Amino acid sequence: MNLGNVGNILMLVCLLASLIQSTQLLPKKIDIDYKIFSRLPFYSSLLAFILLIYIFVDSNFNYQLVVNNSHSEKPLIYKIAGAWGNHEGSLLLWILVLTIFNFMFSYSKIEHTDFKKNVTAFQSLMIFGFTLFLLLTSNPFTPTETFVSEGLGLNPVLQDLLLAIHPPILYVGYVGYSLVLSFAIGGMITNKVDKEWAEWLHPWVLTAWIFLTLGIGLGSFWAYYELGWGGYWFWDPVENASLMPWLAGTALFHCVIILKKKNILQSWTILLSILTFSLSLIGTFLVRSGILNSVHTFASDPARGLFILIFLAIILIISFTLYAFKGPLLDNKSEMSLVSKESSILANNWLLLSTLFVVFLGTLYPLGTDLFLQKSTSVGPNYYILSLLPITVLLLFFMIIGPNAKWQSDKISNIILSTNKLFILSLAIIFGFSIYFDELHLTQITLLTLCLTLILVSIKDGLRVNHNYTIIKPSLGKSLAHIGFGLLILSVVANATFAQEKIFQAKVNDILILDDQKFRFDSVEQNKGKNYNSIIATFHLMDNKTILETFKPEIRVYSNPPTVTSETSIIRKFLTDIYVVMNIPENSDFVNVRIHIKPLISFIWLSIILMVIGGMSAIVFRVKLKK
Amino acid sequence: MKNLKLKYFLPVVITIVFVIFFSQLLKKDVTKLSSQLIEKPVPTFNMPTLLNDNQSFSTTDVIASDIALVNIWSSWCIPCRSEHEILMLLSKIEGIDLYGINYKDKEDNALDFINKLGNPFKKIGVDNNGRSSMVWGVYGIPETFIIHKGTVIYKHIGPIHMNELEEIILPILGDIL
Repeated sequence: MNLGNVGNILMLVCLLASLIQSTQLLPKKIDIDYKIFSRLPFYSSLLAFILLIYIFVDSNFNYQLVVNNSHSEKPLIYKIAGAWGNHEGSLLLWILVLTIFNFMFSYSKIEHTDFKKNVTAFQSLMIFGFTLFLLLTSNPFTPTETFVSEGLGLNPVLQDLLLAIHPPILYVGYVGYSLVLSFAIGGMITNKVDKEWAEWLHPWVLTAWIFLTLGIGLGSFWAYYELGWGGYWFWDPVENASLMPWLAGTALFHCVIILKKKNILQSWTILLSILTFSLSLIGTFLVRSGILNSVHTFASDPARGLFILIFLAIILIISFTLYAFKGPLLDNKSEMSLVSKESSILANNWLLLSTLFVVFLGTLYPLGTDLFLQKSTSVGPNYYILSLLPITVLLLFFMIIGPNAKWQSDKISNIILSTNKLFILSLAIIFGFSIYFDELHLTQITLLTLCLTLILVSIKDGLRVNHNYTIIKPSLGKSLAHIGFGLLILSVVANATFAQEKIFQAKVNDILILDDQKFRFDSVEQNKGKNYNSIIATFHLMDNKTILETFKPEIRVYSNPPTVTSETSIIRKFLTDIYVVMNIPENSDFVNVRIHIKPLISFIWLSIILMVIGGMSAIVFRVKLKK
Repeated sequence: MKNLKLKYFLPVVITIVFVIFFSQLLKKDVTKLSSQLIEKPVPTFNMPTLLNDNQSFSTTDVIASDIALVNIWSSWCIPCRSEHEILMLLSKIEGIDLYGINYKDKEDNALDFINKLGNPFKKIGVDNNGRSSMVWGVYGIPETFIIHKGTVIYKHIGPIHMNELEEIILPILGDIL
C-alpha cells in the first residue's frame, strides 16, 4: 500500500470520527463515548502530518506537493518546513491544531459532562468541515500524474528558520480561538455561562492569545529582518488579518476576567468569543481565496475560497442564531458603577473594538470600492496612524487608571491620588528629554508620557508586596503584559520620531554619511552558498581611523526557482539598530545602498516578549474560584 | 418566545450581509486588476526570439496582427505549465496570433518546455533579465494581454483557468473577432 493512501485513510478516519462526535450537538444524543471520538481525530491527523513530513524529508517526488514545494538539495530543516509552507500542508497543520485543542480539552477536569460533550462536539464539527475541505479541494497526498525526478524548489524568500516556525505558532493562536467559540456554543446550549464557565475558559483564551501575540511578533520580526523592507509593520492586509483576532481576543480575555470576578457581561463575553474566531476565519478566507494578495498568498483557487466562505457562513450563522435566542437570557441584572475597575476594562473593550473597526475598514475598504465603484483605492499607513492615535491615547489612559481602581465602585480622587505622582514624574522625564532633543510635538509628548506612566504604574502594581514580602502573583502577569504594551507603544513612537534613512549610490571606497555616522564602502566579492550564488559587500562604520562595526549586506541569486533576494546586514545595539541593505542595478558601476538608523527596535521585540511572559504567568498564577 | 429581543439578531444580520459581500468578491475575478496599459497602444519593445536566432520580436509584430495575445511565461513557473494547454486551445482559433515572452528563463529549459508541451506561439521573445518586459508592467507571471488592432484591451494576471477561458477570454475575443 502506498503512503499517499495511508494518508488519505488517516484523514478519512479523522473525518468520520469528528462527524460522529459532532452528532452530540443534536438534542437527541446517540450514546457514544465522547472521549474516544474527540481524541481519535487527533491521533489520525498527527500521523498524517508526520507522514507528510516524512515524504518531504524523503524527497518523494511521487507527490505533487513535494514536487511543487521541495527539492532534493534543500537543507533538511527546510524540507521539513516545506511540509507546511504551502496551502495543502498548512491546512493539514491547521486541522492538527484544531484536534490538539479538542484532545487536550477532553482531558480537562471539568465535571460538567454535558457541557464537555457539547464543546467537543462543536469543535468536532469544525474539524469535520476543515477535513472535508482538505479532502475535496486541497489534498496534500495527491500523486503526480507523470514521473518527476526533481522538485521545483521552495521560494528562497521562504527559506528562513523564523519563517518555518512562525506559521505553526500563529496557527495555534488562530485556531486556539476555535475552542473559545466551542466554549461559547457549549455554554449557551447547556445554559452554563457564569463565573465557573469563565474560570474554565480563562486558561484557553490566554493560551490562544499568547500564541497569537508571539506569532504576530515573529512575523513582524521576520519582515524586519528578512524581507529588508526596513520596517516591522506595514498594515499589509494579511498582517491586519492576524491583528483583528488579536484585538478581539484581547478584549475577550479582559471580559472573561470580569465575568469570573463579578458574574456580569455574560452575553457580551459570548459575543466576543464568537467574534474572535469569526475574525480568524475571515482572515483565513481573505488570504486563502486569493482576494488579498501579498507575500503570504499561496497559489489561489476560487473553489477553495468558495468552500471556506460556505463553511464560515455555516459556523457563524449557527453561532449567532443561537446567540440571538440565548443571548437575552444570559445576563444578570446588575448595575455597573461608572468609576470602577470593570468600567475601565469595559471602556478599553470599546477602544479595542474601535481599533478593530479601523483595521477592518482599512482592510476591506479597497475591496469594496473595487467591487462597487470599479475603482482601485489603497489605504496607507497615514489612515491607520491618524485614526488610531486618539484611540491609543485613551487606551493608555484607561490602562493607567484601570488597574488602580477597585472592583464595584471607586472614587475618582482615589485613582488620581494613586497615579498622579508617577504621571508627573513621567511628564518631567519626557519634557526634559524633549528640551534636550528639541524636536517633540505635543502628540509625541502626550503618547510618550502616557506610555512611561503606564510602565511605571504597572511596575509599581506588579511589585506590590504584601506583608509577607512576597510578590502578589496574580497581578504579576497583568503587570508584565501592561509594561510590555506601554513599552511597545513607547518604542513605536520613539522609532517613528527618531528613525533615519538614506539611499546612496556608492562605489568602492566611498564614505557615506548619515546622522554624523561615517560608513566606508570597502569591497565587493562573490561567494557561493549551498544553493545560491551571492555578492557580498563590506561596509565599515568608522570613527576616524578605527573600525567600529562591519556590515556585510548580501545579494543572493538562487537557481531553483531563479530568484534574487537581498540579505540585510543589521548590527543590533542595545538602543539602536543600524541596518544596511543593497541592490545592484544592471550595467552600472555603482551599487544602491540604503542605510537605516533605527532606535529602540529591540525594545519592540522585548515588549512582545514581556506580553507573552505576562500572559504565561497569568495562566500559571490565575486565581481559582472558591468552591 | 417573549424573551426574544431584536437587537440580539443584529450579529446574524451583519454576518449575512458580509457573507453576501464576500461572495461578490469571490465572483469578481480577482485576477482582473486594472492595468495602466488598458486602452493604450502596445508598448514599444524589441527582443530576440527563442526559436530563430536571426529574428526579433517587437512592437511591429504585435501591431501587424489584427488580434494578438501576448503571454508572459517561464519554464520554472508552475502555473504557466497548467495554463499551457489552454494556450494550445486558443492557438487553434482562426484570426488570433499568440505571442510569448519567455521571462527570466534558461534557453535549454524553455526549449524543453516547448518541445514537451507544444508551441502555441507564432513567435517567442526572450527576455533573460526581465528588463524588456518592464514596459508591459509585468509583476508576476503568467500574465496575458489581449491586443486588438494595436491597442491593449485586456490584461489577465495569473494562469487562465478553463472557466476563465469560457467566461472572460472567449467573450472578449468573441466581441472583436
